[in-house]
Amino acid sequence: MEGKYVGQAVTRIDARSKVTGQALYPGDFVMEGMLYMKLLFAGRPHARVLRVDTEKAESLPGVVAVFTSRDVPFNEYGLQYPDQPVLVGPPGDPEAARQLVGGGIGRDEVRFVGDQIAAVVAESEEIAAQAVDLIAVEYEDLPVLSDPRDSLKPDAPQLHPKYPGVSYHPELVFEGNIASRHRIRRGDVDAAFAQAAVVVESEYEIPGQEHIFLQPEAGVGYVDDEGRVTVITSGQWAHEDRHQVAHALGLEEEQVRIIYPAIGGAFGGKEDLSVHIVLALAAWKLHRPVKLVWSRTESIIGHHKRHHVFARARWAAAADGTLLAAENYVIADAGGYVYTTNKVMGNLLLTCNGPYKIPNVKTDVLGVYTNNIPGGAFRGFGAPQGNFIAEAQMNKLAEALGMDPVELRLLNVVQGDDPMPWGKPLPDDARGLVDTLIAAAKAVGWQQTEQGWQAPACAPRPGDPPTLKRGVGLALGVKNVGFSFGYQENAWAAIELRGGREIEAAVVYAASSDVGQGTRTVIRQMAAEALNLPLELVTLEPTDTGITESSGSCSASRMTFMIGNAIKGAAEAALQKWADEDRPARAEYTYLAPKTTPIDRETGYGDPNFSYGYVTVATQIAVDTLTGQLYFPKMACANDVGQAINPRLLTGQIEGGVIQGLGWATTEHFIEKDGYPLTKTLSTYLVPTIVDIPDELEAIVIENPEPHGPWGARGMGEMPLIPVAAAVQAALHHAVGLWYDAFPFTTERVLRGLKLKE
Amino acid sequence: MESVTFTLNGVPRTVAVEPGLMLLDVLRDVLHLTGTKRGCDNGTCGACTVVVNGKAVKSCTFPLAKADGAEITTIEGLAQGEHLHPVQQALVDAGAIQCGFCTPGIVMDLYALFETQPDAPQQKIDNVLNRHLCRCTGYETIAEAAHLAQERIKETK
Ligand code: FES
Ligand code: FES
Repeated sequence: MEGKYVGQAVTRIDARSKVTGQALYPGDFVMEGMLYMKLLFAGRPHARVLRVDTEKAESLPGVVAVFTSRDVPFNEYGLQYPDQPVLVGPPGDPEAARQLVGGGIGRDEVRFVGDQIAAVVAESEEIAAQAVDLIAVEYEDLPVLSDPRDSLKPDAPQLHPKYPGVSYHPELVFEGNIASRHRIRRGDVDAAFAQAAVVVESEYEIPGQEHIFLQPEAGVGYVDDEGRVTVITSGQWAHEDRHQVAHALGLEEEQVRIIYPAIGGAFGGKEDLSVHIVLALAAWKLHRPVKLVWSRTESIIGHHKRHHVFARARWAAAADGTLLAAENYVIADAGGYVYTTNKVMGNLLLTCNGPYKIPNVKTDVLGVYTNNIPGGAFRGFGAPQGNFIAEAQMNKLAEALGMDPVELRLLNVVQGDDPMPWGKPLPDDARGLVDTLIAAAKAVGWQQTEQGWQAPACAPRPGDPPTLKRGVGLALGVKNVGFSFGYQENAWAAIELRGGREIEAAVVYAASSDVGQGTRTVIRQMAAEALNLPLELVTLEPTDTGITESSGSCSASRMTFMIGNAIKGAAEAALQKWADEDRPARAEYTYLAPKTTPIDRETGYGDPNFSYGYVTVATQIAVDTLTGQLYFPKMACANDVGQAINPRLLTGQIEGGVIQGLGWATTEHFIEKDGYPLTKTLSTYLVPTIVDIPDELEAIVIENPEPHGPWGARGMGEMPLIPVAAAVQAALHHAVGLWYDAFPFTTERVLRGLKLKE
Repeated sequence: MESVTFTLNGVPRTVAVEPGLMLLDVLRDVLHLTGTKRGCDNGTCGACTVVVNGKAVKSCTFPLAKADGAEITTIEGLAQGEHLHPVQQALVDAGAIQCGFCTPGIVMDLYALFETQPDAPQQKIDNVLNRHLCRCTGYETIAEAAHLAQERIKETK
């Protein structure tokens, strides 16, 4: 439903400040009397900390304080489960330690290279860095688990104590090194395999991915004039950050304040805490502003990655292409701590069978501790890995059946009341599945013929050297919008209308993190629309837990959907108060999304989500078989977005998401060996530059209104990335006749495959 | 301790030199001109690009000592009051800004290019943009912005 502002390509509110260098990011703040922090990272994957000697560091002139594990009141944190020490080492107060989960056992154990031992605060960053080098730590090195499959062996060392579970995350089982366990059981797969005309069996290795948000983690901590310990930093959910900081410091939440300024990208990589607790701790104890900025290498070592996944898949179809069974067994590398592994794996579970009618399903997904950098949130949140499994299997089945991949999908895709593997249909009519599939396929040359849809013949073009091979491929994707599994999704907003006879200003309060996607611009547009006011009259207050309630996380493609509904509610209530002659007329509103349910622990049955996004990526490829180089003449990404609130920002999400997916599929190779990351810089971890992108990228926007979405909008921020890798794999196969079941499809890997084939 | 003197966005400045100090350190930490960004540790991302004597340089690897007597322009020195430079305006108009952390570096590099070579060929523009990492946009809109800026600059020359 378009409106005066909804559906318009309004210029983003921060465009001018960003293009002139005026916008302040977390590392840009300078305060009177500010001190500087540097952290001592463990730099080793698994060890017990026996002793931390800070004496020399403390006596260096200019050093103000050195904090260690003994100084952290409640030395634990974690977004889903507090299994990580803030600073690793012996406890200060053993009594307090006993109150921690797991009785505080193992808080002196380093479990990945990015664990932190000490925080030095000094008059300058240089002095702090020097002092870090003066800290002497005595370690007892412990055996390192660097492959989750090894962590599952019976004689593997156990990396964490057996923690007590929590009722709201039943999937967190803490069995040996298995952090989380997920399954679906539907029908009888063995019986189905016995009757199948075609069975496709594969093993996949799906790589991790580093976010490389361009702004490394940074922040300033201080005590504000109301005595609250305050951190200006980047993150994706200010109130959750506040919750974790308060817990570690043993404070009430009201004593902690989190402010988000301009944020230089996140992509899920800022969902978990980084600088927050140590900055709050130092500011709280020293009563002076303290600043911490991570270097790029500290950022790469210090924050989680997309989960590295190993999967076995066996799928069966009847001779006419009807899917009969899918069996998937998935092991994911959770790394040293849980982070969001349990929820990421939940999404992997829901997506790894695709949006298809499959009567017999058996899926097992395990999130497994290792001594690698933790796995966690990254755009798509398990769906990209799940999608790769499902769509690679579908493309292989199409080949085995001699069917066109579009036809195979049209035959099997869920429609109307068809249940998904968890026993419930998608909540809307899910027309976006077929619509995006057809639109993307057409865009790269698929044609509808008498015999049905047909992929284009990828003959050499004039001028092609004989070593160049061309192909096309596609993949269809689905992912939930919003939080799942019974969590009551909610978002808060408030609007204050000021003026006398006429409304002269509308001030919007919302705690939404603008990580670059443009949420603050979209919020302003939606507020102007809902209030029927000129855009110029609408302003938006900063994201600050001191003045807002929680609007929830900027993740799960949820913010536009959730906050849009909150704004509609707040606008209606504020206008009512205005009519009742309140001056100023202020109203708050908390939107509650439709209810969801947990899924059954044994069968996976339930109603886990209230909304989904639909997407297809189709691509042309040209493979230089001499060099292994891949080129992409044209790529298309079709998204069902419900309703574009700001079409320009929206295509920005599509283009950026696709290229991030292309990086994951082709150039980005995050390598860890024995628990040590080897790709710690931007010259060894290669994100795409402008020369790596397709010659043409068509962003196709389809608008099937989402019944619960504000103005019909549905979430879309993650979707474009999800099917890219599987589409590239299929195109690569089409071009050279090889299925590459591990990626990234680097030139070396492509060449190696071609050599083996010869 | 020695010092260096340079002109920064038209204003003369003198700062003390410490060994190993790079221009970016001085801009951000001493002069508090934080519009210039640091995105990496080894001269790969381009976020720190500024213009020294008409040439775009990565300030994170540009020794301060070499700045003596130089004419330096940073992102803060480009707009004339409310009036954005055509390169800045083009990035705004093309929707080429998301998180914006790469933006100042890209603006400065394109600015330096079009100052000296308003009709730079596409290849040259691509080379300039290839020096910058942007994790948000996928580059399509940035390339469009470069194109738009060049057209507008050529019109006024
Ligand atoms: S900060 Fe990355 S190139 Fe200078
Ligand atoms: S806009 Fe975020 S890095 Fe370019």
